[in-house]
Amino acid sequence: MIRWYGLVALLLQTMLGFSQTWKTESGKVTFLSEAKFNSFSGTSDQLQGLIDLEKNLVDFYVDLNTLKTGIGLRDRHMRDNYLETKKFPYAEFTGSFAEIPNLPTGQPVRVEVSGKFKVHGVVQSRTFSGILKKENSGELLLEATFEVKLEDHKIEVPKVLAYELATQESITLVATLKSVQP
Amino acid sequence: MKKFVLLLFPVLCFSSLHAQLERKPANTELPVELTFHAPRHINLATVEPLENKTFHLGIMHTFGTVDGGLESLFGLDNGANIQIVLEYGLSERLSLGASRSSRDKVYYAFGRYHLLRQMQDNSMPLSLSVMAGAGVITGNYDFLGAAEPDFSDRQVYSAQVMLARKFSDKFSFQVTPMLAVFSNPLSIYSIQSREDWYGGLGLSGKIRLSPKTSLTLQGIPGLHASAETNYGLGVDIEAGGHVFQLYLVTSQMLNEPYLLAGDNGQPLDGFRFGFNVNRVFAPW
Repeated sequence: MIRWYGLVALLLQTMLGFSQTWKTESGKVTFLSEAKFNSFSGTSDQLQGLIDLEKNLVDFYVDLNTLKTGIGLRDRHMRDNYLETKKFPYAEFTGSFAEIPNLPTGQPVRVEVSGKFKVHGVVQSRTFSGILKKENSGELLLEATFEVKLEDHKIEVPKVLAYELATQESITLVATLKSVQP
Repeated sequence: MKKFVLLLFPVLCFSSLHAQLERKPANTELPVELTFHAPRHINLATVEPLENKTFHLGIMHTFGTVDGGLESLFGLDNGANIQIVLEYGLSERLSLGASRSSRDKVYYAFGRYHLLRQMQDNSMPLSLSVMAGAGVITGNYDFLGAAEPDFSDRQVYSAQVMLARKFSDKFSFQVTPMLAVFSNPLSIYSIQSREDWYGGLGLSGKIRLSPKTSLTLQGIPGLHASAETNYGLGVDIEAGGHVFQLYLVTSQMLNEPYLLAGDNGQPLDGFRFGFNVNRVFAPW
């Protein structure tokens, strides 16, 4: 009988959880390419993510078709020739915290996550650090900045006029995550 | 008890399957992109649109026939025609532009409107754009004395429909019925014959050789009485912000009315080297 209750408790916990899970309400990704004679950035407001402290899961992705640099023809070349979004539509990361953070309300906490980062169909094991802050409303704010080398993901930099595109892009994520039932 | 655990099992599995987010495209209705590398393809305008508040600057050159050999550096010393074209996107569909060609010193203003866009899900199988423009020949004909053409003799008009399909990542094709009228097609202008109207059927092909390089083809069979066909063959190179277009063509002409009315040459008379530099930019 005791086992019976145990199973029901486990089921309830699995179904309802204890609000240790957050999903993006809004999320923005920006990349900055700083080449010798040309700097430009691209932004998408379609960053989707999940942070589950109970399962120690951090899972984010963005549809690369939504990246905009402000020049349509450059976006089309970026999608078609560089990111090849028809074949590889998403940039994605799935990993876990090095140490599951305590998130006291109102205090920014530096966190570190390790996992698989996939862009252009190439998976790299990466560790990223960022800042998490739990708001009074219960929402989580995330900010992270990291570098991505194009060659690590087999994204070819043009040989002619190579000064137009940086070989390493600086990526910034900003997201607001809302507490959800898992 | 065992039954109960068996009942629980799929619930627990379902819960763990939902651990990771399902990857969903942000937009499922996407247009087909890069039917051509740039708003120009050898000499002809394409269905490739400009976005709102972006400029396209095209610098286009053709030279003398390559058969002059090394003495004329394969035509580069002779008869250059240069066209500078600047086009501005007022919206996703409409752009306005102006060009200046050195041959007969023609200033030309035009509009390009994208009516239909081919969609990736094939709900729209073709892209269709229209373009029309008017220009003025500003060449100096003082030496003709009283016969010097006045403003009413110097006007040119043209209109065209661009119908294109990207058949695959490797192959795109565009058909462009074109029409041009000169207010007074004088023989002093660099045109082939005196006609009430000049017509042609532009044919543009793109065969992709690598992600950033394509083989380009052009044919503009004329439809008016004395028409000659313009033939072109080249390569487009997309190089991080610029599209370079190198080609061999039978005609020196670069703007729309002259592509129809001008001397389009014959393949046996020799091809000419030409190149375009295309740059799209958004200054604000």
